[in-house]
Amino acid sequence: MASVTLENVWKRYGKVEAVCGISLDIADKEFMAFLGPSGCGKSSTMRMIAGLEEITSGNIYFDGELMIKVRPRDRNVAMAFETYALYPTLNVYENLAFPLRSSNRSGVDVDKRVREIAGMLEITDLLDRKPTNLSSGQQQLVGLGRALSREPRVFLLDEPISHLDTRQRVRMRAYIKRLHIELGYTMIYVTHNQEEAMALADRVAVMNEGLLSQVGTPEEIFHNPTDTFVAGFVGEPPMNFLECEYRRENGRHLLDHKGTTMEMPSHGEALAQRGAIPPRVTMGIRPFYIDIGLEKSARHVIPAEVFVVEPLGDMTVATVTLLGARLQIVTELGFRARPKQTVWLAFDPTRTLLFDAETGRALIYEA
Amino acid sequence: MQAKTFTMADLIRYTLVIAILIVFLFPIYWMVSTSFKPPPDILTRPPKWTFQPTLSNYVYAFEEANFALFLKNTLIVSVISSTIVIVLASLAAYSFARYNTGAGHLMFFFLTTRMMPGIAVIIPFFVIFKVIGGTAIGQALSLGLDRLGALVVCYTVFNLPFAIWLMHSFFQDIPRELEDSARLDGYSRLQVLWRVVLPLAVPGIAVTAIFTLIFSWNEFLFAFLLTRDVARTITVGVAGFWTQRGIMWGPLSAAATVCVVPMLVFALVLQRYIVRGLTFGAVRG
Repeated sequence: MASVTLENVWKRYGKVEAVCGISLDIADKEFMAFLGPSGCGKSSTMRMIAGLEEITSGNIYFDGELMIKVRPRDRNVAMAFETYALYPTLNVYENLAFPLRSSNRSGVDVDKRVREIAGMLEITDLLDRKPTNLSSGQQQLVGLGRALSREPRVFLLDEPISHLDTRQRVRMRAYIKRLHIELGYTMIYVTHNQEEAMALADRVAVMNEGLLSQVGTPEEIFHNPTDTFVAGFVGEPPMNFLECEYRRENGRHLLDHKGTTMEMPSHGEALAQRGAIPPRVTMGIRPFYIDIGLEKSARHVIPAEVFVVEPLGDMTVATVTLLGARLQIVTELGFRARPKQTVWLAFDPTRTLLFDAETGRALIYEA
Repeated sequence: MQAKTFTMADLIRYTLVIAILIVFLFPIYWMVSTSFKPPPDILTRPPKWTFQPTLSNYVYAFEEANFALFLKNTLIVSVISSTIVIVLASLAAYSFARYNTGAGHLMFFFLTTRMMPGIAVIIPFFVIFKVIGGTAIGQALSLGLDRLGALVVCYTVFNLPFAIWLMHSFFQDIPRELEDSARLDGYSRLQVLWRVVLPLAVPGIAVTAIFTLIFSWNEFLFAFLLTRDVARTITVGVAGFWTQRGIMWGPLSAAATVCVVPMLVFALVLQRYIVRGLTFGAVRG
């Protein structure tokens, strides 16, 4: 196993900048997820780590050893592909044996290792089959097995389960996590699915337009996003944003959203006293931290109109309109309301985040 | 099993199919039947549908007209030139498909060489082979006029662009991830080509081989102008029965049948591949 270090890594395809100067440390045995929308550079970054793409500039180290001149086959990385990439002409056994038979790994007891891997993944009874006769879940198991068969220094997974149906995906997700815990490989997992990234990774690197937006534990990413992109990308249902204007009145610090005065979040007071709040801010609050009431009360002071209420079984999601802005609120299971009915909202001030409306940066980080 | 009802639409469809089949197959039937007719029965009017079959036309073609040599020449030239074409074209096509060598321009250039008719370059070729044939190297490689090597070169030149173009589409259909995976699994570029790409490209290679073989086998123009006796091929041999004393229909038909049958059998056996090759994109399996 190895640690992986990226140092100001760039990738340009002609004039297109796919990856713009990424620096990142991935510890030995860490599970790191690269999360971002398609085209954000996460796959390019992974392919550069594998050596399949050349680096335009910058350095990549495994355990402090410079890798950029090392050929892919000598890096000893393994990769599981989105399309599984099993060799269609070979049966499962030969697919698993393929990496072991490469010239520079002679001396490995191929048969023993193949059966060991097949046993571990519980695919021993599939060994004689051709990949085309397997279900997509089984194909990905074989793909994982092939990647595991040679005990790589770094294990790369490129959207390995995005082609599976929902049930298989959840099963495979748990499976991959368990595999990581048991084998302790350094794993890098590329995905556009925030749920997968959060569920699997020790740390998540959120990428957007070739840049690293934030690197942190799932909790940090979820509760302390560095900008509106991360805040909006992570979490389901997504975070609500309200454009607000900051003003001072009689020594009090206030936020106005189209004339409705909002309560200043807990960390906002401190920021305001340091003069760190710009005139235009974006207020962000997750759907779990808005309370909804049918009657006005001391807490429920913000009026809104119900758009629709969706009972999902495990939670009920109410969508309401607040002066043109649409908010999603996760509410108690039994909550019911008619469209156009007026309801009253209460934001949890300790969970409300503030962002600079110009730059999208979280204010707490700038202070 | 449920009995199918035979509708009016079926009747029309089958009638049409049969009519088209007759149009296509009748010349072949005529050729084969003529080859077995005794000479007096060949040009009778109305045509004789029943006759006493004879092998005399075949005997004449092989014994008097030296057809065995022509057949051997054609076989040698087609197989050798097709082999060279397949080796060169698969490497070139792979390079075009994976590395985008020449950014498309080079491949287009190759394709444009197919756009000129062969007759446009036949005189230059004639002169070139005449000169080369006089040199020691030319003689060693049998590149002169009326030499098989010259035909091999011509057929290779003319089949190569088509083969590259056909194989290019096959190579493009092979998922790149398979190669990426093999490269990570510890294999060199050449090993990846040999162990991963080529096994998947076999249907495409087969199709290309079939086409180049058929083209070489049936080629007439170059063989006609660049050979005289020693290197003469069957297509020219068939035309040779068009003599000053008249057309020798019997031996001509026998020779033409011998010329067509191997390719016909070949095409029937490999029919599956040919259809696949013409519809492309079926490599994934």
